[in-house]
Amino acid sequence: MIKNVIKQIDMVATSDPTRIVYNNLGETNTYQQLKEKSDALASHIIELDLDKKSPIMVYGNQKFEMLVAFMGSVKAGHAYIPIDSHSPAERLEEIQNIAKPAACIAIAELPEIELSVPVISHTKLVEIIENGQGTVAPDPSLQVQGNDNFYIIFTSGTTGQPKGVQISHDNLISYVNWMIDDFSLPERPNILSQAPYSFDLSVMDVYPALTMGGQLSVLPQEVTDNFKVLFQTLPTLDLQVWVSTPSFMDICLLEPTFDADHLPDLSRFLFCGEELTHKTASALKKRFPMAKIFNTYGPTEATVAVSSVEITNDILEAYPRLPIGYSKADTKMTVVNSKNEVVPNGDEGELIIIGPSVSKGYINNPDKTASAFFEMDGGNAYRTGDAATISSDGMLLYRGRIDFQVKLHGYRIELEEVDHHVSSAPYVKQAITIPKYDKDHKVSQLIAYVVQKEHPFDRDIELTAAIKKDMAETTMSYMIPQKFVYVDALPLTQNGKIDRKKLINEVNA
Amino acid sequence: MNTKDKVLEILENTTDSAEVRNNLDINIFDEGLLDSMGSIQLILELQNELGIDIPISEFERSEWATPNLIIAKVESMI
Repeated sequence: MIKNVIKQIDMVATSDPTRIVYNNLGETNTYQQLKEKSDALASHIIELDLDKKSPIMVYGNQKFEMLVAFMGSVKAGHAYIPIDSHSPAERLEEIQNIAKPAACIAIAELPEIELSVPVISHTKLVEIIENGQGTVAPDPSLQVQGNDNFYIIFTSGTTGQPKGVQISHDNLISYVNWMIDDFSLPERPNILSQAPYSFDLSVMDVYPALTMGGQLSVLPQEVTDNFKVLFQTLPTLDLQVWVSTPSFMDICLLEPTFDADHLPDLSRFLFCGEELTHKTASALKKRFPMAKIFNTYGPTEATVAVSSVEITNDILEAYPRLPIGYSKADTKMTVVNSKNEVVPNGDEGELIIIGPSVSKGYINNPDKTASAFFEMDGGNAYRTGDAATISSDGMLLYRGRIDFQVKLHGYRIELEEVDHHVSSAPYVKQAITIPKYDKDHKVSQLIAYVVQKEHPFDRDIELTAAIKKDMAETTMSYMIPQKFVYVDALPLTQNGKIDRKKLINEVNA
Repeated sequence: MNTKDKVLEILENTTDSAEVRNNLDINIFDEGLLDSMGSIQLILELQNELGIDIPISEFERSEWATPNLIIAKVESMI
């Protein structure tokens, strides 16, 4: 059992310095490089004498320097906030205003934005690392430990303001030990690293790989977006463990050579982030009959995932809709009714997670924290907002959301937040966002129903282009609806609120 | 309907944008009109509607980046 994530990773560097930790399309870095560079960065951060409790924003895409920045921050006692370089400037400002960070490390070039905190640019980072080569490792007592925040990941919030989920070192330890113990991963696994670091699915590849002395094989977004290059690259990675959303797997399954003959080392598949459909899992099982396929489930608030099940042929036969598995050993998952009373096995209700990987709450947001987090049976508990049932042997079945949160290709989206952004666009009087589901219960697109204001355009489609262009300045691209429908009025409930459920039923009839 | 009109109609639907008809040289990826899931939808619709076969392993993005390129590509496959 691992007790300290940072020490564990540094131990690999000491015992096996030349082992490769990061392989970015053939450009490789070793554990020793990770240790030396992050030690140098940590020493620099410590000298800056920043407020210890404040996190550090880390902005960029899939680059080795991102890992250096993460480790450098936690070694200096600061949590890091990973922010993807595709984020619009307004998102950065919002995160800055909410999280009140002490600094920003910009591995990628920042958009036009005035940050009020010191920025360490990529050039500066390279300089810090070079000047710091060979300095002694910083004092380990300054490192993030115990209940200190390790990372903070921002997710969609209902009011249009994102929420920062605080994950402590102890939360992460509980998660990582489960990954090491329960998924029969190979020794020093070579793991696919495809998800952006701002998405906590990436934690499922980064920390198991690093603590087990394994290798992260990176698929940058430029590669995953260009299918020809993607399928040329995949066989060169010698992957053993696959981590992705089911949506990304659906793309890969379109290629007939994506199978065990062409990827013989690939023996473990781990899915999280959205529902794994029966169709995807059974197609994959046919392509890789000997591999172990795991469906996992969990919200960012409980550190990536908290339940899992191996999808065997027996499971495929027994469940037309796949289960989300059994809770990890140190965690209890229970189903309650609207009065917060535990319901009998088999009855549907809201899923509650109680255990050591449950977050302490949202940073600088006591209201939202109080409404989602509480104490139960002496442990930290989180109200998931997911409807579920639990069988007598503890198998959990997912039944959908009890509110208006959706997952689109793995991205978690509050429909209210999208409403807010569409409604704030020019030419829009009123708007509401409706998810369109495919036959496997997965959201395939978001549709905005819009009551328009006066505008200069001849065609709806030109109006849509103008709204989308405006939204791109403020909104994460995955939150921009794929379709816009213009109506004279939106349906209302008896209480005079916009009747989203009615439109959801109409769209999905 | 000729191939060009058919392709433009499919493109307009998958991108939900008029730009693809107004500017046949617009880069649909750089302009954020199509992401990778959208590309899959485009490939599937072109296959279904036009009866062509587009192997995903041969989908080199730069060759499919503008309406004009897509039309030429599709015409060469019919």
